[in-house]
Amino acid sequence: MAQFKPRRFSRRTVKLALTALWCAIAFLYLFPYVWMVLTGIRQPVDTLAMRFIFTPTLDGFRTIFFETGFQRYMLNSALVAIPSTLLVVAVAAPSAYALTQLRMRGNIFLVAILVARMVPGIALLIPIYLTASYAGLLDTRLVLIVIYTAFNLPFAIWLLRGFFREVPAEVREAAIIDGCTEFRVFRSMMLPLLTGGMVATGVFVFIAAWNEFLFALALTQSRAATAPLSVVGFRNEYGVQWAAIGAAAVMISTPVVAFAVVMQRYLVRGLTMGSVKG
Amino acid sequence: MSAAALPVRRRGHRLGTRGAALCFIAPAVLVLLGVYLGPMLYALKASFTGWVMVMPGSENDLVGFDNYTDVLRSREFWTAVRVTIVYALSSITGGLILGTCLALLLNLDFFWRGFFRAIMIIPMVITPSVIGIFFKLLYEQEDGVFNHVLASLGLPKVAWLSLTNALPSMIVMDVWQTTPFFMLVILAGLHSIDENLIDAAKVDGTSPWQMFRFILLPHLLPYMLIAAAFRCIAAMGDFDKIWLLTGGGPGDRTTTMTIFTYKTGFSSFDIGRTTAIAWIFVVIVLAVSSPLLRYLFKTAQADR
Repeated sequence: MAQFKPRRFSRRTVKLALTALWCAIAFLYLFPYVWMVLTGIRQPVDTLAMRFIFTPTLDGFRTIFFETGFQRYMLNSALVAIPSTLLVVAVAAPSAYALTQLRMRGNIFLVAILVARMVPGIALLIPIYLTASYAGLLDTRLVLIVIYTAFNLPFAIWLLRGFFREVPAEVREAAIIDGCTEFRVFRSMMLPLLTGGMVATGVFVFIAAWNEFLFALALTQSRAATAPLSVVGFRNEYGVQWAAIGAAAVMISTPVVAFAVVMQRYLVRGLTMGSVKG
Repeated sequence: MSAAALPVRRRGHRLGTRGAALCFIAPAVLVLLGVYLGPMLYALKASFTGWVMVMPGSENDLVGFDNYTDVLRSREFWTAVRVTIVYALSSITGGLILGTCLALLLNLDFFWRGFFRAIMIIPMVITPSVIGIFFKLLYEQEDGVFNHVLASLGLPKVAWLSLTNALPSMIVMDVWQTTPFFMLVILAGLHSIDENLIDAAKVDGTSPWQMFRFILLPHLLPYMLIAAAFRCIAAMGDFDKIWLLTGGGPGDRTTTMTIFTYKTGFSSFDIGRTTAIAWIFVVIVLAVSSPLLRYLFKTAQADR
């Protein structure tokens, strides 16, 4: 490039300018999130006066934990999202293995997975609600675990299929010749090779299960209500409880945000693997 | 090498590869049958009855296609279809344009790139119900931040959630949340491009615009299409954000197909009508997603 156009700025200056530009972009774009976090640690007067500089307070957190029993919602969310994540990976991994390494044709199964992935949740809501109500499972964590497992299964199988495809066929063939059973090959050879893929899948499933709202809203009342439902109560006919709503928003979103930032590598990998070929 | 051909007597081997494969998929098949097929068939049967929750015995009144014809003739249904189309198309267009710009900017050389990429994906994972309730606060007419910013710039305040503005405001919220998804997919596309092609174009003195229009865009197009298709299907099913921002209102200005189904089901408890709406919705979603389905199925078969 240099011989065609005289370089006016040094490479370092350009990099610094772009970094400054990105600081501005990130601030503007993330403003709603920053505002949300600030609302949680501010007195309502400071929020309403749009102050960026203020004395932080934990009043909002005090309100939600000591006056509304917010911890129960968080506990329910954890006790639903974690088992669902483990179950999805446990059920999806063998199927993905069968579809790739065992060269099962399984076209019907594949079509079923793809179609199931597209079906909107709302279409299943009424029959599932009625069934759960007959079975006496309304307002239990169990019904949410079963549903979240099922809803995330098609995507998980699809994602893990991509990861299993990368394992060379020779690994399994050599083990079979050595006298291993199919089950042993899967458990002691494939699973250790697939740790990364299973973590990537788990990240997606956990985020989806933690964030789910529609089925939690319809199927739970008070005992099994999850964290995303709790925000509704802080904005009622008596007005907006600014500090409480901000604190609740921070508490609910922090686990998934922290998880996504820490597990970013897996998230990006899974996203590209699950949508376009990685 | 087929395991069944080996004369070793072990349990796994007697089952054969095919038997083992069936065992491996059995749990997934059971879950899919139990939570997808079962409820879908149950809903199909219910949609041909005049079942209303508050009227015991009405679940056995067969009414044929009455529920379907009623729904397809109602004004509310077509409003919901229209709102869904406007919502999905506008938010995809917005997310795609913004996501592409950010991906191109992120692909440049600057300091702390990894850090910026990491924080830019935050909106994508924030709990949608939290986003819905928080944007409602941001959009408040008197105490909201957006109006405060407008006022401090000397501009008039905007009624963000009024009859005319509610749908655009809802689209803005969705674009905000889904932009990182487009950005990441397009970034993956940019990373897979052939460096030599870029270098050759640079040597030929290509302008940045020509570079984007004739080299990057054709390469990125498949990535854009796939991201848009996935997002389209997800947008049709969006519930939490919309429910907490507007609840489908004012009137039915922001009532999408999903909100419409939910409202019908949980306000009137008219099971027959709701399941009919749900089935019409499923057919629409599958029709819209059929090109994507076909594409995914073909890639799955090709790389087996």
